[in-house]
Amino acid sequence: MKALAEAAVDAAVGAGASYADARAVSLRRQYAITKNGQVDGLSDAESEGVGVRVLVGGAWGFAGEGRLDEAAARDAARRAVEFARAAPGLRQTALAPLDAQSGSYRTPMERDPFDVPLTEKIDLCLRAEEGMRQSKVKVTLAMVRAQREHKVLATSDGVSIEQELVECGGGIDAYASEGDVTQIRSYPSQHSGVSGQGGWEFVEQLGLDREAPRVGEQAVALLSAAECPAATTTIVLSPEQAVMQLHESVGHPTELDRVYGTEAAYAGTSFLSPGDLGNLRYGSEKMNITSDATTPHGLGTFGFDDEGVPAQRESIVTEGLLRGFLSSRETAARIGAGVGGCMRADGWSRMPLVRMTNLHLEPGEGSFEELLEDVAEGLYMETNKSWSIDDKRLNFQFGAQIAWEIKNGKLGRMLRDATYTGVTPIFWGKLDAVAGPEEWQLFGLTNCGKGQPGQEAHVSHGASPARFRGVEVGVSA
Amino acid sequence: MSRALEIAELALSTTRGGDAEVLVHAERSGVARFAASIVHQPTLIDNAVVRARVVRDGKVGWAATNRSDKERLGEVMGRAGEAADSAKPDPDFPGLGAPGGYPEVAGYDEETASLGAEDQARLAAAAIEAAPDFGLYGYFTSGVTEIAVVSSTGLSADQSMTDAVCICLAADDGASGWSERTSWRVGELDPAEPAREAAATAAKTRGAGTLEPGTYAAVLEPFAVAELVRWFSYDSLGAQGYLEERSYFCGRVGERAFDPKISIADDALSTANLPKAFDFEGTPKQRVQMIEDGVIRDVVWDRVTAARAGEGHASTGHAPPDAWRFFGPLPTAFSMAGGEAGSTEELAALVGDGIYVTRLHYLSVVDPRGGVLTGMTRDGTFRIRDGKVAEPLVNLRFTVAMSDVLAEVPGLTREPMLVNLNDLYDERFPHAALVPALATRRFHITGTGSGPGL
Repeated sequence: MKALAEAAVDAAVGAGASYADARAVSLRRQYAITKNGQVDGLSDAESEGVGVRVLVGGAWGFAGEGRLDEAAARDAARRAVEFARAAPGLRQTALAPLDAQSGSYRTPMERDPFDVPLTEKIDLCLRAEEGMRQSKVKVTLAMVRAQREHKVLATSDGVSIEQELVECGGGIDAYASEGDVTQIRSYPSQHSGVSGQGGWEFVEQLGLDREAPRVGEQAVALLSAAECPAATTTIVLSPEQAVMQLHESVGHPTELDRVYGTEAAYAGTSFLSPGDLGNLRYGSEKMNITSDATTPHGLGTFGFDDEGVPAQRESIVTEGLLRGFLSSRETAARIGAGVGGCMRADGWSRMPLVRMTNLHLEPGEGSFEELLEDVAEGLYMETNKSWSIDDKRLNFQFGAQIAWEIKNGKLGRMLRDATYTGVTPIFWGKLDAVAGPEEWQLFGLTNCGKGQPGQEAHVSHGASPARFRGVEVGVSA
Repeated sequence: MSRALEIAELALSTTRGGDAEVLVHAERSGVARFAASIVHQPTLIDNAVVRARVVRDGKVGWAATNRSDKERLGEVMGRAGEAADSAKPDPDFPGLGAPGGYPEVAGYDEETASLGAEDQARLAAAAIEAAPDFGLYGYFTSGVTEIAVVSSTGLSADQSMTDAVCICLAADDGASGWSERTSWRVGELDPAEPAREAAATAAKTRGAGTLEPGTYAAVLEPFAVAELVRWFSYDSLGAQGYLEERSYFCGRVGERAFDPKISIADDALSTANLPKAFDFEGTPKQRVQMIEDGVIRDVVWDRVTAARAGEGHASTGHAPPDAWRFFGPLPTAFSMAGGEAGSTEELAALVGDGIYVTRLHYLSVVDPRGGVLTGMTRDGTFRIRDGKVAEPLVNLRFTVAMSDVLAEVPGLTREPMLVNLNDLYDERFPHAALVPALATRRFHITGTGSGPGL
C-alpha cells in the first residue's frame, strides 16, 4: 500500500501538482442485527481503494479508484490533476507548514472484534432482545458492529504514515405501542448504539443484556406517562443528551471550513467568524470544551489525521470563551492560527474535510444527585430522540426519549415527548453546573454527516450531566 | 451487458452451496462542488460494490466487496455463506426473487454518460457565471449508475441510469437564495437557470425581519414540499414503519386524512422522474398510490415486509439500498399531483396573509406516529401580505404535524418540479421527488433563527 500511495504522489507531481497526497485504504465492516427474536442482518463488507488529492495552480482536485494497485493509483492521480486544471475560479491556496512526518499508529485492544465468532455476536443480541420483551413492546432490536480501517498516507511534502484503526460497538432499542401512542427507548443511544475504538471488550462493558430489562420497562411506562408540558424551567441533561447538544451547537460551528463558508449550500455555515477567536463569549464560565484526538476509545482517535498532522489535544472553549477552531492545514493557514489536525475522510473515495475528532464537555464537580439538589422545579432529560439546528448553528430544538420532573431536588414523575429549544450562545450562557469526572461518560457516534458527496464521520464526545437554567421546554406542533 | 451485470454473473458463478443473490452497484461520477464561486472540492469516483446474499437452510448471510476479480468474488460469496451458517433460520424470510419481466423504462442518456471532469467543471462554471452579484455555493454533478441483480433462482435484472444535478445557493453576508435542477438528460439542464433564480431570490432577502411564533398560512416551494414528504416517509410511507406501528397511516387506511387536493404516489416508472425498472432485490417497480384525493391508500412494500404481513400483500418493488435497510422499504420517486395555480404568486394570492418558504433545513422526526416534524426554513423566507410576497424574514423554526400541513390546502401549482433527493452518501443512487408548490392554511412556527446569508 505504501508503494502505490507513493506512486500516486509521484504521478501527481509529475503531472504538474504543486502538492499531492494519496491515501490507500482497506476497510472492513461487520454487523449483526437481530429483531424480534430473529436474525435481521448479518453482514461482512470490505472496501479498498486509493484517493488522491492534488493542488494545481491553487485549485484542488480529487479522484478515487476502487482498486489497490499502482496503475489505479497513477490513474487516480492523473484524473485528479485533470479535474483541478479544469476547475473554474482564481485562488491562492496556502497550507500551514508541517514537518515531514513518518510513523505508524494502531488501536490498542485486547480481543480483536473480528476474531469474535458471529454466533457469539448473535447470541448476545438475542439475549439482550429477550430481556427487553414486555407485553406492549412491539419491536425489539439489538445490534453489534465492528470496523477495521487500514490506511497508508503519503504526501509530496514528506509524510509517510501507516495506521490501523479498529472500533466496535452496539446498542438496543425497544418500541412500545398502544392506541395512537408509540414510544422508543434505547441504550446506550438511539444513534445505532455507541461505538468506541478498541477490542470486543468495549462491547462487553456496555452490558447490553444487563440494561435490556430497564429499557423494555421504560418503553412501556412511557405509553402512560404524561406529555411534557410547555414551560420555561431548569433542565438537567444526561451525558448522552449533553453530547448531542455539544456535537450540534459547539462541534459543527467551530469547524473552520464552515466558518469560511465552504459547507454553505448543504450543512450550512456558522454563527462564528474568524475574528471571534479569543473574543467571543460562547457560554458561562462553567463551559470548558476540548478537542482531543488522543482520547482512549474515542472514535476520533488516531496517530495522525488524513493530512499527516499528529494527534493533539487543544482547548476550544475555556471558561466560556472561544479559544480554538477545528481546522485543516488550509484553514489554519488562512486564519493564521493552529496547524490543522482535524482533516478526516470517509474511506478512500472521499476528499478529507474538517471534522470533529473527540470533542468533550469537561467535567465540573459533584455527583448527579448534587446537581439535582439545587433544582426546586425542573426536568431531567435522557437519551436523544430528535435533533435539529439552523444553518448557522444558532436556533436548535432537541427531543429526549424520556424525562422526569425534578421537584425539590428529587426526580419525580416520568414524562414523554420532552423537547427543549434555544439559541446556542444564550443557551450555553445558562449552563450553571456540570457534574464531576466520576459522572463523565464517552459516547461514540457513527453518523455525523457532512460534505457533497456525503461523508459520515465517526466521532466521540464525553460529558457529565449538565444543568441549564431558564430553558424553554415542551415545544409541540 | 453492463459492467455491473458481468461482475454479478461472475460472482454468482462462484457460489458454493445454498441459494445466492448478487447485487452489483457501480458508479462513475464527478462532482464539481463550488463555494464562493470557486470549485473547491471536485471529486471523481469510479467504483463497483458487490453485495452477496446467501441462503442456507432458511438462514441468511450477507457480505460485500468492491473487488471484481474472480478470486475475491469467490471469497465474498464464501463469507456470505459463512455468515448464513452462523445465523438462525428466519421463518419470515420469503426466499429469493423469481425471474420475471421488467417494465421498459427510460433513464439512460448517452450525452450525460459521456460527461467527464472537464465537462463537469465547465457546467459548474456556467452556473457560477450566471450569478455574478453573489457568491455561488453548490455543485454540478453527473454520473452513470449501474445496478444489476442476479440470483441462483434465475432472477436477472440490469439497468444503467444517468443523472445530472445542479444545486445553487447564491449568498453573501446578508442575503441568500436557493434553486436547483435535476434531470437524467443533461441536455435538459441549463446550470445558469438555477443560478439566476437563486440570485433573484437572494436579492430580495436583505434586511430580514422577525416573526412572532404562531400558526400561519404558508406557501411552500417544491424544494420545501419535497423535504417534508421525504421526512414524513421514513416512518409513515413504508411498510416497515406501518407494520411496527410507527406510521401515521396505522389504523387510517381508507380514511380521508388530508385535503382532497392531496394525492401522492411513488412512481419510479415515470419518464419525468429518474426512471427505474426494479428495486434492490430485483423486484419490478410498481407505481403505488399512497394518498389519493386526501384518502390514505397504501404504503410501499418489499419482499420481507410483504411476507411478514401475510396474504394479500406483495412487494411493490421498494427494497432499499443496503445503507437504508434500517428503514425497510421506502418510496424514492414521489409524485405529487399538481393543482390549478399557474405560479407561486397565485398561491400567495390564495393565502392572503401568511409566510412564503423557499427551502427547509435539518429536519428531524419529533413524533413518528403523529407525523410531527421539526426543522428550519432558509434561503428565501418571506412574509405574505394582502396576497403578495412581501418583506423578507429571518429563518424560522417550524414544528408541524403533517396531518395539519396537508389538512387544508388552498391550492397547488399546476406543474410539478423534479427536486433532487440524493445527498450523495454511500454509492450513487439518483432519486428525486416530482412535486408542485403548495399552499397550506396551517404551518406552525415555534421560533426564529439566524438571518439569511452566510
